[in-house]
Amino acid sequence: MNMRYVSVSLWVAGLLLALLTPVFGSPTMVDITFRTCSLVVLAVSWNLMASAGLISLGHSAFFGLGGYAAILATNSAGTPFWLSLLGSLVAGAILGLGLALITGKMRGIYFAITTLAVSEGLRVIAVMLPDLTGGAKGAYLAPDNFPGAFTVNMAMGIAAVGTCLIAWAISRSRYHFAFRAMRANEGASQMLGIYPLKYRAAITAISGSVASLAGAVEVWHGGYIDPALAFDLHITITSQIAPILGGIYTLSGPVLGAVATTLIGDATRIGLGHIEGASLLVFGLILVGCVLYLPQGIRGGIAQFLDRRSKRSASTPMPADAGQR
Amino acid sequence: MDLIPQAFSDAVLLAGLYTLMAVGLSLGFGVVRIINFAHGEMIMLGAYGAFWLFTLFGVDPLISLPALIVVGYVVGWLLFKGFIAKVLDAPHINQILLTFGLGLAIQHIAIILWTGNARSATPVYATSSFLIGDVLVVHGRLVAFAVAVVMVAALIAWLRWSETGLATRAVAENRAAATLMGVDVRRIYALSFGVSCALGVATGVVVSFILTITPFMGFPMLVKAIAIVILGGLGSIPGTVIGALVLAFAETFASYYLPEGSGWAEGIAFVLIIGILILRPRGILGEAVET
Amino acid sequence: MTPLLELSNVRAGYGHSLVLQDISMSLHEGEIVCLLGANGAGKTTTTRVISGLLAAGSGEVRFAGNNIAAVPAHRRVDLGICLAPEGRQVFPNFTVHQNLLIGSYSKTARQRRAEKFEQVYGLFPRLAERRAQKAGLMSGGEQQMLAIGRALMGCPRVLILDEPSLGLAPKIIIDVYETVAAIAKLGLSILFVEQNVQAALMIAHRGYVIANGRIAASGTTAELQSTSLVQEAFLGTKTGTGRAPPGPARLSAH
Repeated sequence: MNMRYVSVSLWVAGLLLALLTPVFGSPTMVDITFRTCSLVVLAVSWNLMASAGLISLGHSAFFGLGGYAAILATNSAGTPFWLSLLGSLVAGAILGLGLALITGKMRGIYFAITTLAVSEGLRVIAVMLPDLTGGAKGAYLAPDNFPGAFTVNMAMGIAAVGTCLIAWAISRSRYHFAFRAMRANEGASQMLGIYPLKYRAAITAISGSVASLAGAVEVWHGGYIDPALAFDLHITITSQIAPILGGIYTLSGPVLGAVATTLIGDATRIGLGHIEGASLLVFGLILVGCVLYLPQGIRGGIAQFLDRRSKRSASTPMPADAGQR
Repeated sequence: MDLIPQAFSDAVLLAGLYTLMAVGLSLGFGVVRIINFAHGEMIMLGAYGAFWLFTLFGVDPLISLPALIVVGYVVGWLLFKGFIAKVLDAPHINQILLTFGLGLAIQHIAIILWTGNARSATPVYATSSFLIGDVLVVHGRLVAFAVAVVMVAALIAWLRWSETGLATRAVAENRAAATLMGVDVRRIYALSFGVSCALGVATGVVVSFILTITPFMGFPMLVKAIAIVILGGLGSIPGTVIGALVLAFAETFASYYLPEGSGWAEGIAFVLIIGILILRPRGILGEAVET
Repeated sequence: MTPLLELSNVRAGYGHSLVLQDISMSLHEGEIVCLLGANGAGKTTTTRVISGLLAAGSGEVRFAGNNIAAVPAHRRVDLGICLAPEGRQVFPNFTVHQNLLIGSYSKTARQRRAEKFEQVYGLFPRLAERRAQKAGLMSGGEQQMLAIGRALMGCPRVLILDEPSLGLAPKIIIDVYETVAAIAKLGLSILFVEQNVQAALMIAHRGYVIANGRIAASGTTAELQSTSLVQEAFLGTKTGTGRAPPGPARLSAH
């Protein structure tokens, strides 16, 4: 069987699930799909940065900023739904651009530290400017512009599909090779200062804007935001665990990982929900376990397994990269 | 009333604590070349250790300090052997994610074991105070400062005058050359990571009677420690002291002089990190970063 | 008599590039042997294999008759294999005295520390004068002295010097080699790596020429001087690897 067809049909199935569930799905299905799509956006976004050697330890910064941008735009200026999403895209892009410029030619560790600090910093700002953000008490979305649950669910599905398309387009462009070089050269060439800032800025802007979009749609979905919710460590963690669990630096990995992470999250909530902190403990262990034992994630594990099996059955050897798309 | 002497005294006392908080992180990075994103969790564990020993058995945190330091060392050593040692030659991303994941796991084990409730150890000196002129000094803060000074001085003395301390510095400066002197680099790594974690735990013990203890306390402290460390130069102890002074003074004066200052003070670490990165004082950041 | 140090058919390299193709050489007690070769021939890699910083891919490294392949680098110092590495590699933020102190970190050396300090400060009065100075602030020649002194502090049975003349002014090179000759008088076995043929052949008993990761020639100093092997190896005529040969000025410098 041709692996290409399998992966193409899987992608199509994912696309249909994302876009048709809001139309036909049961409430539970719609809810699960919504959360999965949200995580797909965040995971693909995180993975885009990681592909360029940039590790974000504060993806909630983008998520939260997007949420606040949307709610501020709507509550203060009556901006309609779709326009508010655009606003959050712009806000996320600006933050991403700023991050790239601030960390400049410095190597990945500074980027990681800065993202960590930015998410903490934004949280403090959100708490300390109650006139603007509602402060620690949070803010409710003015219901006037609410487009209906269906539209919001649909928007998240479109966001997920769109984000995957962007990632796909990038993987097809020359950016892909620039990123590979940037990752490979982390140790040596960065010291010489030959870090292609242009690529770096572009990727953080794109990645930041889509992560913000996820935050914005989530706010429309929940109708409420506060600093703890917006800049929740949970967001940061799931957006990095999903790609790592699925398969970092690949197209399908973050998507697979987002599905798996959502399911694991739900399973632990159902199974261990009575134990406070259990689900994040599981995520922490997954993170450690993946780094140590499954560096290529589920995707790599499957590829390895198939590779071994195809060798055993002496059929045509399959390159490890098959099924990438 | 003039607040400057009071703010000055508060800032100095806080700087001592901050130095202790960051010096372990700095040591771990300077020697092992890995930023331990679980360092905040070591502080949290130390605080809980002191709290439980005080609450259950009435052991004063200052009495339990030495024992908890030993425990912290052992925990750090085990973390190194069990996890960190496996990613020493791995890409950066693996190292960062591993320590981040470890921190996450430790934090949530703490939540499971001890719930998210806020607690604090309350020995007599935690809240009692005295006046020097117009300046109010809380005994607990003074005690914390003294502990920090003693610990940091001991660390400096160890690095300067002991055989192993010298070897540790040699590894930090030049791994290969240190090996050629007969230094077992892996052993020094494990040892420094242990000492680094022990210093984190010591910070927690001291903090236990100053701040509220929750499983979440580690993360903001980690951010502050990182700010201090990159401000002063990674791996440099005098730099760490300077960084701690800067952060402590900035926070203290902000909370005295800005409207709602104590809230804004929490964001100063973030501003400092961004500020340093924008100004890019490569000289201060030090060579240790560019492995 | 078994040689003190013996390499047989050693192959080694970094990642996919094999630097040492086939190295066999020996060093006897009390001998001074030089290892000559052009830039990139594999001289430093050889010293790294002997000191254990780099594991040999195949072949044997024997010290006093024992295969030391399994002995990690830091344990080889205990055996008495002490290297003053290429580029000196002193600890820049340590004082001169601290550099020497860490030089005698190994268990065996620690017990004889006082005696060694006396010896090293005797050999290098300049270091004694500057013992409180930060090593990073010293001149290249002084740092080279320090690197040699630091290796001596480890109580070597074999002292390995990797290009002690590298980057030094001619007058300083003479100083360094006079000191090496003085150290040799103590009865130490010395293996040193050089590109500077004239300086090397002045004090060595025997020599090996490495070209392209193999021993291209070997013999006593006189033999090496009288044959054209050295020149051939240096100019790369036999191997033709295209690696930059040293300029003619170096060979004709009398």
